Amino acid sequence: MAAKGALKIAENDNVATVLEDAAAGTEVPVRFGRETTPVKALEAIPFGFKIALAAISRGSKVVKYGEPIGIASKDIRQGEMVHVHNIEGARGRGDLARGGVK
Amino acid sequence: MNFLGYVRPDGSAGIRNYVLVIPGGFLAAKICDIVEGTRSILTADSGSGRTSRDRETIARTLIGLGRNPNVASVIVHNLNTGIGYPELKPERIAGEIARSGKQVELIDAAEEGGNFGALEKGVQLAREMTYEASKLRREPCDLSLLSVGVKCGHSDTTSGIAGNPVVGNLFDRIVAGGGTAFFGETTEIIGAEQFLAKRAINKGVAQRILEAATEIETIAKSTGEDIRTVNPVPSNIAGGISSLEEKSLGAIHKSGSAPIQGVLKYGERPPGKGLYFVDNWMSMASIFAGYAASGAQLVMFQLGGGGVRGENLLYPTTAVVAPLMWTTANPKTLAMASTAVDFYSGTVIEGTETIEEAGERLLQTVLDIASGTVTRVENIRHVNPTQIYLRDPCF
Repeated sequence: MAAKGALKIAENDNVATVLEDAAAGTEVPVRFGRETTPVKALEAIPFGFKIALAAISRGSKVVKYGEPIGIASKDIRQGEMVHVHNIEGARGRGDLARGGVK
Repeated sequence: MNFLGYVRPDGSAGIRNYVLVIPGGFLAAKICDIVEGTRSILTADSGSGRTSRDRETIARTLIGLGRNPNVASVIVHNLNTGIGYPELKPERIAGEIARSGKQVELIDAAEEGGNFGALEKGVQLAREMTYEASKLRREPCDLSLLSVGVKCGHSDTTSGIAGNPVVGNLFDRIVAGGGTAFFGETTEIIGAEQFLAKRAINKGVAQRILEAATEIETIAKSTGEDIRTVNPVPSNIAGGISSLEEKSLGAIHKSGSAPIQGVLKYGERPPGKGLYFVDNWMSMASIFAGYAASGAQLVMFQLGGGGVRGENLLYPTTAVVAPLMWTTANPKTLAMASTAVDFYSGTVIEGTETIEEAGERLLQTVLDIASGTVTRVENIRHVNPTQIYLRDPCF
């Protein structure tokens, strides 16, 4: 039952979901259909969290499912974990202002 | 791509073969206790003190359940419809169901000497009608005659990356085969409504999708609570979901990639085949009966389940005449509820199947169920009450 590597959902996604805890420095095999591309994890990324497949500059879109899931709030390097510390939802910004997600 | 179904006079095909007794209440419940092969709806939503919009929703639900292809014939009685609202008159409900060509029998308690006279009449009618229904034989039916409705719930990391996309792939296959698929849960498209609107067949449908999301968001705000302060919830974030968009986009992937033909009201029958968005409420007490009234012969619950303990949530159906099947992509959920889950798509996460391969396997499972294999919870004799999705205050 061991989950393997990370899963990319859509062609233009710039993040993939990690499916086994990845230690810093390990090569994570990122699967998309039957293709697999290794991406080196720059930090520890646990099951269910996202890894950047390419550099994402501050202010540009983070794409999963082929659609933007938010905006990078700081420069993200390939292999970094992508989560609430470096991405902000573009919807519901009132909630963010209240600190509901941070 | 075929399944074995019961062909009805209107050309539709049942995957089950019931006699329906409506509306719910004393008479229907007692008839169903006594006669095998019958179904009724258990609900407190009688229509009394409700607006015309809500009364019409109740009528649409009852009529839709009666017209569902899984129903061979229908008994309509007047015990709960005696209040006098025109929408709910038994003659009206029976008449609209009869347009499908099915046998529909009316019982008037006043003409049968009251409740117990009506009960005797109803039992004898139901016995005769289930006997006649039993003479029907399944025959090969094209996939285009299948309609399926889905809800996702207790979503976790596995839902957005495997469970929902595999259901979405099934939906694409059903739609490509000329069939019909329903998805909904309006609150849970907020943040992904633009993405859905892009898939509408025309501007009018796109506009209706956006309006549905705006309406529910406006109502939510009018309560004084901002819905977005609770979504994504802390456990979603702890599970790796970073934004409301990510959660909603994961949820809507259960709809696949087909064009959206229209937006339906709760229990509304679609004007044609293909993929439809239903403006409904996510509760399983409500959503499945609505899908069945829209014509779905089978309903699906795509379960994340990371936060669910034991089998407590794996109830049998509230879809009245449509069996309920459970799917999950979470290996822990599968282990917890192995006697209730019909389909496992965690293979996509484990790397042993692609979404397409799992979708093809899910279609085969659905066709087996459509052909008569019972779902894992279908053989549990239990009826949960149905909450018909009423939108207005009561007076």
